[in-house]
Amino acid sequence: MPSSTSNFDFQRPVPDLPWRGLVLAVVLLTTVATVAWEIRARSLGYRPSLNDTSDLWADQRQAVKPDSIVIIGDSRALFDNDLDTLQQGLGQRPVQLALVGSCAYPVLENLANDETFHGTVIASVVPLMWFAPPPSPPYHNSQRALKRYAHRTLAQRSGHYLSMWLEEHLAFMNADLKLEPLLDDVPVSPRAAFHPTPVLPPDFATIDRDRRTRMWESCNVPGPLQERVKNGWLPVFTPPPPPPYVPKEAFAAGMAKAMAARFADTITAVKKIQARGGKVVFVRYPVSGELKKHEDQLTPRVGPWNGLIKATGAPGIYFEDYPELAGFTCPEWSHLSAGDSVEFTKRLLPHLQQALAP
Amino acid sequence: MLFNSLTFVVFFVLVLSAYWTMKSWPARKNLLMVASYIFYGAWNPPFALLLFATSALDFYLGARIAAASGPGSRKAWMITSVTVNLSMLGFFKYGNFLLTNFEWTLSKYGVAYHPPVMDVFLPIGISFYTFHSLSYTLDVYRGVCQPTKSLRDFVLAVSFFPQLVAGPIVRAADFLPQLVNAPVLRSGQFYWGLLLMTLGLFEKIVLADLMLADASDAVFGFAGPLLPLDAWAGVLAFSGQIFFDFAGYSTCAIGAALCLGFSLRDNFRFPYAAVGFSDFWRRWHISLSTFLRDFLYIPLGGNRSGPVRAAINLMIVMFIGGLWHGAAWTFVVWGLIHGVLLVLERLVKSVTKDAAWTEAFMTKLLVGLFTYAAVCFAWVFFRAPDFLSAGKIVAAMTGRIPHGVGVAVLSALSLWKVGIVIAGLLLAHSLLRNTSVEAVVGRMPRWLVAGLWTLMLGAIILTQGNGNAFIYFQF
Repeated sequence: MPSSTSNFDFQRPVPDLPWRGLVLAVVLLTTVATVAWEIRARSLGYRPSLNDTSDLWADQRQAVKPDSIVIIGDSRALFDNDLDTLQQGLGQRPVQLALVGSCAYPVLENLANDETFHGTVIASVVPLMWFAPPPSPPYHNSQRALKRYAHRTLAQRSGHYLSMWLEEHLAFMNADLKLEPLLDDVPVSPRAAFHPTPVLPPDFATIDRDRRTRMWESCNVPGPLQERVKNGWLPVFTPPPPPPYVPKEAFAAGMAKAMAARFADTITAVKKIQARGGKVVFVRYPVSGELKKHEDQLTPRVGPWNGLIKATGAPGIYFEDYPELAGFTCPEWSHLSAGDSVEFTKRLLPHLQQALAP
Repeated sequence: MLFNSLTFVVFFVLVLSAYWTMKSWPARKNLLMVASYIFYGAWNPPFALLLFATSALDFYLGARIAAASGPGSRKAWMITSVTVNLSMLGFFKYGNFLLTNFEWTLSKYGVAYHPPVMDVFLPIGISFYTFHSLSYTLDVYRGVCQPTKSLRDFVLAVSFFPQLVAGPIVRAADFLPQLVNAPVLRSGQFYWGLLLMTLGLFEKIVLADLMLADASDAVFGFAGPLLPLDAWAGVLAFSGQIFFDFAGYSTCAIGAALCLGFSLRDNFRFPYAAVGFSDFWRRWHISLSTFLRDFLYIPLGGNRSGPVRAAINLMIVMFIGGLWHGAAWTFVVWGLIHGVLLVLERLVKSVTKDAAWTEAFMTKLLVGLFTYAAVCFAWVFFRAPDFLSAGKIVAAMTGRIPHGVGVAVLSALSLWKVGIVIAGLLLAHSLLRNTSVEAVVGRMPRWLVAGLWTLMLGAIILTQGNGNAFIYFQF
């Protein structure tokens, strides 16, 4: 009978190999391969920089205080706002909660349901993103970040801090250079029956720990990266066709219903924040070129934007209404360059101050 | 804490360094116990108290069983242990499930009862550590193991971090004896442990998460009708994903334990090369199937009371096995499908006896393929969130969808990834079904071992991982 007072006789076998030499060879080979990959990453133009992960977002969400100024919305709010300039003009450093390719409504709802929050929300509105219904990718992106914030464990938090340290020192830690996106570039004959979901363009920005995001200079000037990013926007900003198993009329009715619900939910969220003494201001950030034409055609200003401002009663700043804001050109159609974002923020400040004045 | 996280890498290096630096064996055991509670508490610190309470209670009850004067009192203490352990498991894991079913049953008799939904958070790995702990009192009761006098040793046996949250389900009778004397590392044991950990992480991070998870998620998460090819690819992808995920965890656990000087038994033996369903369960989640065999099937009478009673016993065991995996009827159906397959296999075997043709290569090949196909069919119910989704996938797999309605949800690249990985998986299992990883690696040329190890490490570094939890954590 196995007893707890004697040693057990079961022992896992160990292969008979010259282990020390083997381990030395593996360590050497892995080190050489890793260094070579780092050199290759830098030769491709990548530099050590943080990845914009749900953990980085959760850090910022956690930094929100009851009276904070919070920026929410899509990537335009992320690229086009200079946090230093806003801090100087508004008296406190805003918390950057905008998310690439996201619908900001879940974040607005989260702040509205936070009974302690009575601060200010600067909300970027790109109608195709704001009204994206669940379970679309923009809605999912916000939900994923919120879920991380709500359920983050101690282990995940420490892993995030270790990862940030590595990302700030190694270029190959960039999300573009993971095995998954590299495999996606393997040339395979496409499948005729499959209609892919548009994917976001490759990385073209750096992000700080407080999520200040700056466009790379290589994307600011005409060239292959700028073209690649530009070409990615039109599919991303085109709503998917109805699935074949849903009648078109039913699909259209469902979308209209979802949009009406989003209007109503947004009004409710804004009123909740206002009722606690908080403020919400909607901002439409610059967009250029073919993408602007595309957005204006799909979501004319008289539709979602005007409707949202009227229904919520919150102030709105539409870049085209002001010559000093309308004169910027987005190099890749959707975002301002790092330099322009500072100037744009300086010019946006007086409008924000006016909108937020008591 | 996840094995596939930077936090664990730092944690493990620190624990290993301190463990092999310390001289005193009791101090090293204290270190392991504290480390195990940090490992567990890093998810949700308060649940570490529940883990301790379970262990402390079974330590006490084990001593009472051993000290009991008569068989009646021994049995009473054993039943107390079973009842308390299963009640805790039932409250946390099955509370809402039972309430929902109770409500549904009453509604069938016209009684409108709406109990409040309990906002209960499931302690991670509760099914595993409950069985770790329960195995002790059951083995003490059966006389298979003597009770330990050290609460610290028992707490460590239950909480030992490599196997704490997702197995293998290590019996206290297997682990407690290893705590008596300080382990002495055999030649190569530490490095072999590291190689097994690399293999396990490669299975999880690269094969399960990178190559298969997206295809499986896309198919099982799709609300509309699927094309047959997509449905099959999604199900095959899940068959590979769950194997690499779970076997990857077990391999990591075995490797980590080896680095610390402990030996854990195999939890998987190339299950997709199984010829028949009883063979499958001798190869899949071995620690659970042997637990259910020893503590449920045999006490129910096993096959000692005739074929009909044995069939009923098998169905009961597989019903419980299904329910152990999750509080949903889909898991129960998954278990019952396996139960029916095991009963049918016995029936067929009783007819064919030991006929020579049953041992022929072609027969075994066909039976092996049928076994894998049936196991995949059962996985549909395991993975699908509800019966509606499972029905849609089965309909697509059997071509029962109207022409022109099915949707392709997988890209050509996804199909290639699934095809290559699953073909490689089946080939590897077929070639290795009668051997072990240790034997295969021992026969390999050194350059090949070094090359494969480097490739796995390189792929892990390149993939970087996305911190996905292991599937079996939820159980």
